[in-house]
Amino acid sequence: MLEANCPNCGAEIRFRSADLPVKVCAYCRSSVVREGESLKAVGRIAEVPEDVSPLQIGVRGRDGALGFELIGRVRWRWTDGGWNEWLMLFDDGSIGWLGEAMGRYMLLRQIAHSGFRTDMVRKLRDGHPVTVGTEATIDGIQYRVTDVKEATCAGGEGELPYSAPLGLTIASVDLMAADGHCASAQKDQGVGEVSVYTGRYVSLADLRASGLRAFEGWPMPQFAA
Amino acid sequence: MTTPPPSVRALTCTSCGGTIALRAAGSTVSLVCEHCGTTLDATDPQLRIIARAHAAMHRPLIALGMRGVLRGTTWEVVGYLERSDGGDGWSEYLLFNPYQGYAFLLDDGRRFSLGFLLDRLPSYTWGEMELDGEGYKRFGSSYATWVKFVVGEFYWRVAVDERVRVSDYVRPGKMISCEENGSERTWTRLWMLEWGEAEAAFGLERRQREWSRPSPHEPSPYRDRLIELTIIGLIAAVTLLIVAIMGGGSTRVASADMQAALDGATHSEIIRDIELPGRNSALTLTARAEQLDNSWIDIDYSLVNRRTQENFDAYALAEHYSGSDSDGSWSEGDSTPSIKLSSIPPGSYDLVVELGAHRWISPSRSLYITSYAPGASPPIPVTITVDRGGMFAGNVILGLILLLIWPAILLFLHFGFEQRRLSPVTEDDDE
Repeated sequence: MLEANCPNCGAEIRFRSADLPVKVCAYCRSSVVREGESLKAVGRIAEVPEDVSPLQIGVRGRDGALGFELIGRVRWRWTDGGWNEWLMLFDDGSIGWLGEAMGRYMLLRQIAHSGFRTDMVRKLRDGHPVTVGTEATIDGIQYRVTDVKEATCAGGEGELPYSAPLGLTIASVDLMAADGHCASAQKDQGVGEVSVYTGRYVSLADLRASGLRAFEGWPMPQFAA
Repeated sequence: MTTPPPSVRALTCTSCGGTIALRAAGSTVSLVCEHCGTTLDATDPQLRIIARAHAAMHRPLIALGMRGVLRGTTWEVVGYLERSDGGDGWSEYLLFNPYQGYAFLLDDGRRFSLGFLLDRLPSYTWGEMELDGEGYKRFGSSYATWVKFVVGEFYWRVAVDERVRVSDYVRPGKMISCEENGSERTWTRLWMLEWGEAEAAFGLERRQREWSRPSPHEPSPYRDRLIELTIIGLIAAVTLLIVAIMGGGSTRVASADMQAALDGATHSEIIRDIELPGRNSALTLTARAEQLDNSWIDIDYSLVNRRTQENFDAYALAEHYSGSDSDGSWSEGDSTPSIKLSSIPPGSYDLVVELGAHRWISPSRSLYITSYAPGASPPIPVTITVDRGGMFAGNVILGLILLLIWPAILLFLHFGFEQRRLSPVTEDDDE
């Protein structure tokens, strides 16, 4: 835990993870970037529009034996909707993403370089079109592309592994396997960098999520109560 | 503690100004005003108008905003659309729970099914679709469907006349439905709900059960009963046979040796003190006259209850004939006839046996007739036995038929149902 003050508005900000370079100031929405000992405010990140997601920063859960806490979020928007990516800080210091779209959850972790052995990923990197239905084997698991779209960052909050300026555009490819595994490949349309994530579909009950948001008139599910 | 925020937000329709609810903010993409039918862009803070209504508004059977508990989860109706494939069409409700996401409630007018988007791909093996170790049969060919009416909110862009290509795979009670449009392919698994389940959840009137036009994933209403009754029938049949065999092991209650003189005259003998304790029982009366040769014995039985004098009469014929003719030697007749008396009340009985033996003169032996003087032949020994218990074979067979008649009828109904269920819908040419 690192406590500091926002270089823009002076409000107190906390970095939960020593490894994450970016924190969105909850007051002035500045994107505060940490470089060594110094903090710099680089641009602003829009507040995520109010949604009916049961997740929020501070939600805790477990992936098997390993506990995690949600410490940040990026909201992506595309022409026909949007989705959330929640940053998970695991108890061992590693990070992952909990993707939330259409009421479903994907627990994903970035994989290093092995993804680039896959044709589909190379196509995405080289700017060739990727089509729905394409088969792709990543780290020995056979997937099929279920979704291809272009999205822009529509907002964010909390801590982030990168500065997510408003308007950042990505090409996003979702993949699904026969056994509940899933994967995602994202290409930063500015820099051209491709990141590959693999994981599986989970439910909030699987994660034994606690600290979920309450909504008036909706009882808290048993696993979270 | 502060009150938690509401999940529902009130918005104003850009077109008619009416108040409309937004129940799944963040996920909802299309919002169709329940007052005027205008489709609004829920991702746009200005609620941009996407399409004006071009169908008359009507209310879904289950109103938007209604909540119901299905299989342990509370669901709120957030969207409703009517789809058609050229036939009768069906209704789909989009259900939402902030913690569980989305579900679909399908209503074909008869039965309701609950559907969830799949988070895994079914595998195609051996000509069947497989999911979670269960096989699904392809139902018909893929068909086009289009939206006829829509109201409420959806996490995708809905539009009247929007076309989707659907392929269905079925097994009793479940269906996997694959929907394809240009850029997306989604898989949904549907569970058929029990009769009355959805009606109870959403306060609808219970629907009448009938199976004339089953849905392709409808479980046969006869299957469980068929299995149950076949098992019961088989157990009963085996029990019946065991009882027939065991109970058929009758007990001898009396036996007596008699003589029948071949003089044509009848004489009586009495077997006394036949005790039949307990309850009503069947008696088998057997006469053994194995030395009969071209002669017969008329046997009249009369079983008399010693106390009530009630009597049960029966007649048996012991006979044996033999000879030879152009076809060779022959013999016929039953020299050990058995007869059965059913339901003899318990008590102490005397059995009066009246025997009358007669010689039969074979035409071929007519030459020798004079050599037989009446009374010259020795009397024929006859052994009368009385056995208690035993089954009537006819009754056993009748019992077996009665036991298996229901399973047989159900089997017939079951196969009729399965045939109707899996027969593809009549193709429409206008499509």
